[in-house]
Amino acid sequence: MIIKHKKRAKQTHSLVGNTISLALLIILGAFMGLPLVLAVCNSLKPLEELFIFPPRFFVRNPTFKNFHDIFVLMSESWVPFSRYIFNTVFITLFGTAGHLFVASLCAYPLAKHRFPGRNLIFWLIVTALMFSSHVTAIPNYLVMAHLNWLDNYLSLIVPAIVKPMGLFLMKQFMEQVPDSLIEAAKIDGASEFRIFTTIVMPSVKPAWLTLIIFCFQDLWNLQGSNYIYSEDLKTLPYALSQISAAGISRAGATAAVAVIMMIIPITIFILCQSNIIETMVSSGIKE
Amino acid sequence: MKNKGYFKRVHGKWRLSLLGREAIAGLAFALPFLIGFFGLFLPMIVKSVSYSFSNMTVESTGYVLTRAAKNGFEHYIRALTIDPDFNRMLLQAIIDMFTKVPLVLIFSFFMANLLNQKFHGRAVARSILFLPVILTSGVVLGLESSDLLVTTLSPAEMSGTDFSTIINVSGFLLKYTDLPDSAITFLASAVNGIYSIIIASGVQILIFLAGLQSISPSLYEASSMEGATAWENFWKITFPMISPLILVNSVYTIIDSFTSETNEIMKDIKNTIFGEVKYGLGSAMAWIYFICIGVILLIVGSIISKHVFYNDER
Repeated sequence: MIIKHKKRAKQTHSLVGNTISLALLIILGAFMGLPLVLAVCNSLKPLEELFIFPPRFFVRNPTFKNFHDIFVLMSESWVPFSRYIFNTVFITLFGTAGHLFVASLCAYPLAKHRFPGRNLIFWLIVTALMFSSHVTAIPNYLVMAHLNWLDNYLSLIVPAIVKPMGLFLMKQFMEQVPDSLIEAAKIDGASEFRIFTTIVMPSVKPAWLTLIIFCFQDLWNLQGSNYIYSEDLKTLPYALSQISAAGISRAGATAAVAVIMMIIPITIFILCQSNIIETMVSSGIKE
Repeated sequence: MKNKGYFKRVHGKWRLSLLGREAIAGLAFALPFLIGFFGLFLPMIVKSVSYSFSNMTVESTGYVLTRAAKNGFEHYIRALTIDPDFNRMLLQAIIDMFTKVPLVLIFSFFMANLLNQKFHGRAVARSILFLPVILTSGVVLGLESSDLLVTTLSPAEMSGTDFSTIINVSGFLLKYTDLPDSAITFLASAVNGIYSIIIASGVQILIFLAGLQSISPSLYEASSMEGATAWENFWKITFPMISPLILVNSVYTIIDSFTSETNEIMKDIKNTIFGEVKYGLGSAMAWIYFICIGVILLIVGSIISKHVFYNDER
């Protein structure tokens, strides 16, 4: 396999093409990367350097005081800081895992089975994508209140599990899985669930690794302050946004907070992306 | 498949046919999602419709809905004929969408193709291009916009150019070169346009990338054996294989463009609902807006899905 890939890469790449695409990537990458570099630089700047005029892009006297400040600030809060971290990690892990499982479970029959109302269900779900959070904010609250889920992890986890976007994405990817693969498994006596876990899911691995990235990113940044009142159930983004609410005196700590909030999603992204390898969707098929 | 029925007659009794069993298995798989979806999303939507036809008054015991005037259509009529800004903003949102969506799609498809090639530092390049998604979401955006360095200086420094929060950084850098002001303004607005497109295409790039990665290499091998060029490979293999995801991405981009927080009409709806506490009027505006999105989505979706290639049709 490896040898074949190398051959293909050689065939399709010319020196000019490589240079052009590399140059484009560098230019665009600079656009994308600069804000991150600035955020990191800012978090390392001492307070007097943050307010210097004209502003400097790079840090002159790097210090970890800002990060130290966060821990000092957070040690004064009502509940231990680790509690906020636990809440967000808990919500993110269960929400992401649940969403991945439930959405792909539903996407599989929508893509590969035939049953009455299939298209109706699919289009209802797509329409639900269109609603913005402002319009549904009050009804959403009422539904949560009716279910007695207010001030409970459930009010954040369950809506995340049944988000329509993941289903839509998984369905489109699963349609690309050849029917002959599934039929072959059926003839060999595999149950539907087994087909799902051993045939369909491995063939759409790039799709669900991508889905993990999106879902994790959403939940990691979830403040959830509409539904959660108890201090010991509040999320990390909420706690950290309180630091920046203090304004000018906390400018340094705010910059450090931004870096902390970005690091974890970026790590997850890199982990997921490096696991995506070429899958063998139709390579096992001889037509 | 010839047999269309979900049931069949065996020895005088009705039994589930193969198709029927498959249908039941399918429904069983979809059930967890459907319960959640119909339990959580549908009640919200139904409630929102009923609000748009009523006047809501809040009392100590809860809220009371009374039917709005003109057969309940008062809010709709008000939004469309009396409100001076609503129609203009609606049109503007639609025009913005039509200019932005093709650019985002083309750009993200192009970037995904670049990033899918094998070169050193590919993982780094991918991560960098995904950064906007992280930078523009939730707390980080809030923090960036509350970043004092940016907010206190930008009105004075950058008056006349419309920078979004993050682009301020690039704007600062330009300001300290020796270019004349007009050149900076031009560059800034051009860059701002590019930037808003790049920023809006992080998710799409990833979706395309995942799509490109699930195309089997054996297809390319086979066609290269037959003597196809890279150009032919692209149009005959890559493009059809990725077409279902073009549909996904156009739907996603349209919705994203319509429901983004920076959208003028979304701000107006938010302000009507939470600022002026006119929930009925706000819901009516949202529903008019929603119907417009729905119609556009239906048209675009049906045009694209006609050209979508599925691996094997059933």
